[in-house]
Amino acid sequence: MASYFTINTIAEFVCLIASLFFLAKDKNPVWRLLIFYMLLNCGTEVAGIYMRVGLHLHNYPVYNLSLLAECGTVTFFFYYLFKAYKNVFPYLITWLVIFMAMYITELIINHMGQFLFYTASVMSIVFVLAALYFYYLMLMDEKYMRLSTYAPFWWVNGTLFFYFGSTACNIFFNYLIKDTHILFGNSIRYVVYSILNIILYSFWSYAFICRYLQRTYTPSSD
Amino acid sequence: MQISSTDIYSLVGLTSVIFLIAPLFLILYVISYNRKKRAHAEEKEGLRQSFENELLKTQMEVQEQTLQNVASELHDNIGQLLSLTTITLTSINISNTAKALEKIERAEQLTSRCIKELRQLTRLLYGKELISKGLKTAIGFELEWLNKTEIYQINFKNDNYEADPRQTENDIILFRLFQEIINNVIKHAKATTISVDLEQSEEGTQLIIADNGQGFIIDEKMKETNGMGLHTIQRRAAILGGKATYTSIPGKGTEVIIRIPKKI
Repeated sequence: MASYFTINTIAEFVCLIASLFFLAKDKNPVWRLLIFYMLLNCGTEVAGIYMRVGLHLHNYPVYNLSLLAECGTVTFFFYYLFKAYKNVFPYLITWLVIFMAMYITELIINHMGQFLFYTASVMSIVFVLAALYFYYLMLMDEKYMRLSTYAPFWWVNGTLFFYFGSTACNIFFNYLIKDTHILFGNSIRYVVYSILNIILYSFWSYAFICRYLQRTYTPSSD
Repeated sequence: MQISSTDIYSLVGLTSVIFLIAPLFLILYVISYNRKKRAHAEEKEGLRQSFENELLKTQMEVQEQTLQNVASELHDNIGQLLSLTTITLTSINISNTAKALEKIERAEQLTSRCIKELRQLTRLLYGKELISKGLKTAIGFELEWLNKTEIYQINFKNDNYEADPRQTENDIILFRLFQEIINNVIKHAKATTISVDLEQSEEGTQLIIADNGQGFIIDEKMKETNGMGLHTIQRRAAILGGKATYTSIPGKGTEVIIRIPKKI
């Protein structure tokens, strides 16, 4: 049972609770979608641990499957954020087509027996670029935002930290797969991802709080 | 030389730390840029508000000036005419028909003059509307009224001026500047000739007001607190993004040039 209580699962669970509490009554379905995404993330983590610890099997299939939800949700959320500034629908479709092509190709090449490392790496890069593009659009926009409570800004910050910070782990993925190095009783990859998860879910939780405050204190909250 | 696993793990750890610091600085940059944007927006809003306040103040001053003109017209002109009419009518002796007819005719003439003056006064009361017809009309009417006093020889040149409906707010302030300068001429200059030149070019509007009065030493007047409103004139011209320049020679006269750039 103790195996299920890891830094990652606790961070995800806290964020799920935050999303349930702060976004459940949000008028915008795009923000509410994040509740389901967090629920799916928690489920994936628990299922991954169960496969590894309970069934003594590789948990790649679970994470490969969750990659689809991750790409879909984050992409769609970025699309929603960009939509406020400009139409990026053609880029959205192009990216989703490329992603699916890569996903299927890598799945076939690996015979579904490995984590889709290349697809995940490319996805990380695209999300980093999307976050940077969001900052660019925000800076180019004439009106200023009260950033300390601007929910999209904190959501993008968390996303950028996570996907940019995981770049090193992605680059050295092949080395780290055989990682037996012990750091605080865990592999270096586990430690890095734990820190990134804490940052990601802290920022996201804060974004949900901002969104809740925006909804509570202003009559229109889109 | 082969790199050991430990080195790679250290490298991964170190690179990850760097990859976390980079976004941190990027976010700090975005926050700082946003703050600057906010400060700029607040400054712009402040300027807009001060312009609107100045505009309101100017409109009130134009109105006040109009009322002053009306009061002086009523007192000096219409009042006198009506008094004269009353005296004429009361002095009529009906038994002397020929003389009575002459006096009635005289009273009629005075009443007609009075009506004419009142019509002109009505136009003066609509001073604000005059500005909406253009700066040229408003200045022209004001000078026409001044000309009636027969104290000044007035020259008004406006051939190169075309009214621009987008410049109405600027026109109100510019008209008030004109009134202020003319007031100074009336009060202090002891002039006999007033020349007004209103021009428009690609750059904007230029208003030149010159008199042949006693002139003054600009630096001395500028030091004075009220300074004939010279500071106010300069400040208001600056609000419109323009400039007011004075040239004055004691004993010869004064020239004020106001240049206002076109509102984009």
